[in-house]
Amino acid sequence: MSTTEIAFPARQARPRSVGPLATLARRRFELTARTPRELVVPLLTPIMFALVIAPALRTALHTDPGYESFIAIGTVGLLIPLNTMFSGLGVIVDRVSGAQRELLTAPIPRYLLVLGNLLVVLAITALQVGVLIAVALARGIDLHATASGIAWFVGAGVLFTVGMYGMAEILANRVPRQEEYIARVPAIAILPWFLAGALFPITALPGFLTWVAKFLPLTHGLALMRYGLSGDGSGLHAIWGMTDPTPMAALSLAVVGGFALLLTAASIRVFSRSAVQ
Amino acid sequence: MNAVEVTKLGKIYPGGVEAVKSIDFEVAVGEVFGLLGPNGAGKSTTVGMLTTTIEPTSGSARLGGFDVATEPLAARRVSSVVFQEPVVDRSLSGRRNLEIHGRLWAVDPREADARIAELTGMLGLGELVDRPVGSYSGGERRRLEIARALVSQPRVLFLDEPTVGLDPRIRTELLEVIASLRDRTEMTVMLTTHYLDEAERLCDRVGIIHAGRIVALATPTALLAQFGRQLVELRVDGDVNGVLLSLREHGVAGRDAFAVGSRVTVPLHETSSSKAIAAIHELGLTGAISAREPTLDDVYLRLTGDSLAAAA
Repeated sequence: MSTTEIAFPARQARPRSVGPLATLARRRFELTARTPRELVVPLLTPIMFALVIAPALRTALHTDPGYESFIAIGTVGLLIPLNTMFSGLGVIVDRVSGAQRELLTAPIPRYLLVLGNLLVVLAITALQVGVLIAVALARGIDLHATASGIAWFVGAGVLFTVGMYGMAEILANRVPRQEEYIARVPAIAILPWFLAGALFPITALPGFLTWVAKFLPLTHGLALMRYGLSGDGSGLHAIWGMTDPTPMAALSLAVVGGFALLLTAASIRVFSRSAVQ
Repeated sequence: MNAVEVTKLGKIYPGGVEAVKSIDFEVAVGEVFGLLGPNGAGKSTTVGMLTTTIEPTSGSARLGGFDVATEPLAARRVSSVVFQEPVVDRSLSGRRNLEIHGRLWAVDPREADARIAELTGMLGLGELVDRPVGSYSGGERRRLEIARALVSQPRVLFLDEPTVGLDPRIRTELLEVIASLRDRTEMTVMLTTHYLDEAERLCDRVGIIHAGRIVALATPTALLAQFGRQLVELRVDGDVNGVLLSLREHGVAGRDAFAVGSRVTVPLHETSSSKAIAAIHELGLTGAISAREPTLDDVYLRLTGDSLAAAA
């Protein structure tokens, strides 16, 4: 090791406003790209569902081809929670054996750490949903999407992803170890999926569970996504009981938006409080 | 203006543990200040409060004139930390870890590249820097963390137990690096350690912290001066506090003599070591006796050792 002298000028640059978020997002992406588990594992179950389980259910239950389309979009409701919850593992790794403490001493607002992670989760989720839709289309599933329909789909997907990532951040900052985190994932990512109209309309549930389903953000998200991609407004009607789908879609988007806003605000608060002793 | 100003700073953790009890100190610009103390004394809590990762419950602290509680971003902008434990992205290369620090501290990318080249050369990381940090040895990782902290040219550099867990060769190399920083920059360095030789070698002033309070604050020379030019050390089989008491009663030891473990240490102010050893023999006390010059270790043990309370 040499001891060559270097000069240290006293000048201090001031931080820019956009740069840190891009830096944090790029860092998170690089870390995620080196952990294939976070990219591939969430995709396995939904693709298996779309390719194998849904056709098998259609055959066994003697339903029409529209059921495969119903299931394909319902599977997005499994993919998003699984992907966001797996992303939460990165937060624990950062805290336990990563550079989180270094980032906490950086001259940046700490909420940027949460938002940087969120940007990457959104990008990866978009990629995975795209793969899932592409697989469904390749299987010959019929979707009738218009430009406004795609906008409803994207809006619902983005806001639901944001809300679910908020949930993942909260959990990751509340539990000390990965094992405890993973043990909670099924209850958060999978259980609501069974009740939210992913596999069958919520009207097929027992009466009180139908009411429970109406309060799940995932129910609203799935109904919106089906309305957007296949023009099927029955999910929205089952929730709101109105006839015109557009106001119902707007109401459900507001519900999912509120979910996203609330969980993001809560996750930033929980992160900021848990990061500082 | 001082680089670090700490006024009645205190921290009580949830549950009631009072880790830091109303401490005061200042560190001048360009000074190397050591915070010494045993495990659990409050060193890391103090650094945590100064680096805004721990919220003080009382008092105030300023870094480069910025209050850490009310101007945390400004305070963080002028400082960097090397943590006690490894705090790196292991799957990223060393260079990416350094670049990320530069970006977050708003260093111009071209300037950051130049600094990274200089620092990696200076710290012997040139051939490693493009490898994933997970493949680094403990010493290499620690050098990388020091390089990272320097990329942003902090006005205040915190080194929290920087050499803990390193082998002697790496430790010596790192001490050389830290000493060279002191010699060639106006950077203020605040380091915590429980290695007394580090403090003696590197620090302009040291604060000794014990049970959350600063019990001594002076230059190493001034702290050593209170022991006189020599001291006698007696290893005792049996009642060490009884021996200490006996030495005091017979005028061989003063109030500043102390016992830690099986060892009684007697600072000599006005008598020679040969006379003191002869007096100990006359008292019939058995055990190995030696005379030597005091070190900061003695100051530290006297102020923080378990026997301090009993001897006081």
